Amino acid sequence: MITRRRFLQGAGAAGAAALGAQACGGMRGGLGAPPIARPAAPILVVVDVDGGNDWLNVLPPTSGPNRIAYDTLRPTLGLPASGLADLGSGVGMNPDFGAMVDLYTRGRLALVTGVGMKSPNLSHFVSIDYWGQGAASPDGTGWLGRLADQAFSPTGDVLRGLTVTSDLPVMLRGSSRSFVSITGASGYVYPSPLRSSGRLGAPWDSTLLETAFGVAVGSAAPDPASAAGYAAGALAGKMFLDAQNGFGVDGALPARTPSVLYPGDAGYPLTRLNGGALSTGLANQLKLVARMIAADIPAQIYFTRMGGFDTHANQAVDHPNLLRALGGAVNSFYDDLAGVSTSQGNAQDRVVVMAWSEFGRRVRENNGGTDHGTAGLSFFVGRAVKGGLYGAYPDLTDLDNGNMRFTTDFRSLYATVLERWLGRTAAETDAILGAAYPRLDFLAA
Amino acid sequence: MADLTPVAAWTEEDVRHLGRRAGFGLSPAEAAGLATQPPAAAVDAWVDGTGIDRALYDEVLASRADPVTEPQRNAASGVAGAVTVPAVPGPHRYLVDGGEAWRNDLARGQASWAFRMQYSPHAFAERMALFWHNLFATGHDKVNNVALMLGQVELLRLHGLDRFDDLHAAVSKDPAMCIWLDSVLNNARGSSVPNENYAREALELYSLGADNGYNQQDITELARALSGWSFTVSAAQLVSNPANPPQKVASGGNFRVYDGSTNPDVATWNLQTRATLPSMHGSGMATFLGRTFDLEAAPPPGMAKGEDVLRSIASSRAPQCAQFLARRLATHFVTADFTAADLADLASLVEAQSFDLRAVMKALLKSRWFHDPANRFALAEGPVSWVVRAARSLGMTLAQADGASPRGFPAWALVVSPYLDLAGMKLLDPSGPNGWKEDRAWLNSNTMRYRTKLAAALALGETATSQGVTHVLFPTSVADWFPAASPAPATPQDVFDRLAALIQPAPIAAGVRDAWLAGLWPGAFAWDASAATQNKVRQLAYEMLCSPAAQLY
Repeated sequence: MITRRRFLQGAGAAGAAALGAQACGGMRGGLGAPPIARPAAPILVVVDVDGGNDWLNVLPPTSGPNRIAYDTLRPTLGLPASGLADLGSGVGMNPDFGAMVDLYTRGRLALVTGVGMKSPNLSHFVSIDYWGQGAASPDGTGWLGRLADQAFSPTGDVLRGLTVTSDLPVMLRGSSRSFVSITGASGYVYPSPLRSSGRLGAPWDSTLLETAFGVAVGSAAPDPASAAGYAAGALAGKMFLDAQNGFGVDGALPARTPSVLYPGDAGYPLTRLNGGALSTGLANQLKLVARMIAADIPAQIYFTRMGGFDTHANQAVDHPNLLRALGGAVNSFYDDLAGVSTSQGNAQDRVVVMAWSEFGRRVRENNGGTDHGTAGLSFFVGRAVKGGLYGAYPDLTDLDNGNMRFTTDFRSLYATVLERWLGRTAAETDAILGAAYPRLDFLAA
Repeated sequence: MADLTPVAAWTEEDVRHLGRRAGFGLSPAEAAGLATQPPAAAVDAWVDGTGIDRALYDEVLASRADPVTEPQRNAASGVAGAVTVPAVPGPHRYLVDGGEAWRNDLARGQASWAFRMQYSPHAFAERMALFWHNLFATGHDKVNNVALMLGQVELLRLHGLDRFDDLHAAVSKDPAMCIWLDSVLNNARGSSVPNENYAREALELYSLGADNGYNQQDITELARALSGWSFTVSAAQLVSNPANPPQKVASGGNFRVYDGSTNPDVATWNLQTRATLPSMHGSGMATFLGRTFDLEAAPPPGMAKGEDVLRSIASSRAPQCAQFLARRLATHFVTADFTAADLADLASLVEAQSFDLRAVMKALLKSRWFHDPANRFALAEGPVSWVVRAARSLGMTLAQADGASPRGFPAWALVVSPYLDLAGMKLLDPSGPNGWKEDRAWLNSNTMRYRTKLAAALALGETATSQGVTHVLFPTSVADWFPAASPAPATPQDVFDRLAALIQPAPIAAGVRDAWLAGLWPGAFAWDASAATQNKVRQLAYEMLCSPAAQLY
């Protein structure tokens, strides 16, 4: 587990500069301890960095023509190169990404810059849809949903894919399978009152009611007009009913105190710029995921989301606060897992975190913010991850209508994760994505 | 092909369908009454809200809508002049707008709107406001002002049936929207780079749809045209927190273009005192959707600077705009499984009616397409209208509730937060400007879980204690569900049929019904007023509300 002193050193600008001295000289892979081999029961934790993360201010250029272009187009929002942790290759890391600097030097953070697609659409919603579908020929299903179609048992595996968001993102939608959505750690039970957890008691007959719900969700509509809607409700209800007892007695996960502080916790060393507590949205989701992993919930995939990255305005304040919460939550989660034993081995060994955002932002700032752009940043964290910089950094002197040209197809990330982490064969991987996309080496073949 | 010719006659089934889709349900008596009227005149009155007695509703709304006590607010320590604000005993109005705007309580704002949806005698106006709230989705999380959020809802309520270009312009000038998508920070003066946030969504989400007849250059030009769009706050609109007087909040705002002119009010949008508005409006020419506008010329009479540019969307891209509206209207009111031909037919209607939404809605709700039995129960209902409709069907009428002691209004303030969010629709606070995906996207394991929890509150008489007072969340009475004037149920199926007439689920398979009834009444059936019988009825209502069939409408 990381010490407090080491953490602070990683987070502060002074510490970052010190790290830069250690890190300079081209860190393309091979940092820190060597990655571990793929475990027997790998877990993928997806972090949706929602809104379009301005990654140019996460990993600004430090030298060369890119730096000149950056200085020209980011006259007020640009970050001075002197304050960045030098990652080599003319790239620095914003110290507000905090603990991630430390994770990088430990060799457990892979950063993929310039991730995107042909004919990028600057719409959040169209871009998220494409990212979610992740297919050569999108058909409305998501790439992880198609993984479930392919790999999950058609009648079981209810808890194999989970989202801790209240919605069901398109990324998780299969043609025959769906993911369970869980937003709280208690009261995942039927029948249950509105304002308290636990099963309904007298005078209500909870056994009778549960049987009745089972009959309803195990049935079909008697008329064609409502058939599809009924089936959708029945699937959702059946997943809830089937999942309920997997979450422990009366739907309550065993209590767990995280082994480290997360952003927003009392005593967590980083705050907002104004001294207030960092947002806890992602931290709470990742705490819940850690709690489920510790409880041996048989999930292979967890989906989480942190919003707020649509920094059209007030970016100088909002973006650092967001980065502190994002980097802090992911790093705390990684450290938190180190001491967790599961039936399939140490939890930290079993997890890879994959963070993605629907696009990067416009290179030229507007009045205090940045508008929608193109190529984005993805990053991966885990003991099996070979840390370093991947993908090519976009050429900021050769923009397309003011926007970066992408250098890595986003589906290459999926191909890498499916084959090298989730254990699909090359053919199965390509079938899920509809084409063969190059694999990246942040995970070993 | 969508047959948009009007139906000549209708049945009670048709009327109930209209009530569910274009309101929040009709009681069996209301449906029977409406079915005797000719469809054309009845739909016109439904849309226009004519022939309605609003007196009791307005009175209740003004003075006693919320049965949940507002707690005492203690004086902030160390703030000069801060006073303790005493508790407000219930029932009272929702305390979130006008002079009470300083309380800025999202849950009470949500409760306020839920109450209106439940009891408004003009349900269609609330249904349209809910439709537009999903389309022009604006969120409290960023606006951080419930009074302004409810001000936008009132705009949607009052202008939701105007011409679309009028509505689009009005929403673009709405204070909550001006904050939500950064119009208040959009400065294109001189060499300033405009903020594209609103311009992009004004095209993509609010009028045309993604990639439907515009490009990035149009977005940038529209952003320049709408630069400086903001609002000011008058002295009367500026409200102080009595417990913390330096804390002020706007209870409303007046649209202005920030162009260096004199501020006719006391404060800017962010409550700064300025006699002159900042100069943020762009200059020069703007080319938008193939037409050129002079941003410095005097705007056409009655319009603000840049407004003619915004309004040109519906004329320069009429087919795309009509198609966009047709898609949203079809998905919300008719079916999500429309064909391209259906869409084209509805879009033609929108264009033929010159984007007059009142005329469009009247035609749509009279049409054979809308009333086609194939579209009945073909949509999954959103959680807000679902819970409101259940509260209407199972709860007391407004007169009953107001006459009861304690009053029989639902304790919406204890229901809405966080349970509407967990059921999939955080009213007044969508996570993004794209709102919520409709129809079957409403249904997943978590939202179904919270619907079953809401069903428990609706059907089983759940109580909650707040400020020392115990409230029934949804006051209901089995005796009201089975009025003495009607014949007493002779069989379990009579009980089922009566509840189905109230709750109006999609058809339920006979096997499911029989399994439910056999579980509740395994032996001989007898109807009486005992608690045991009433509890069986409530459990049957709960089973029905939880079923997949009851999620459709």
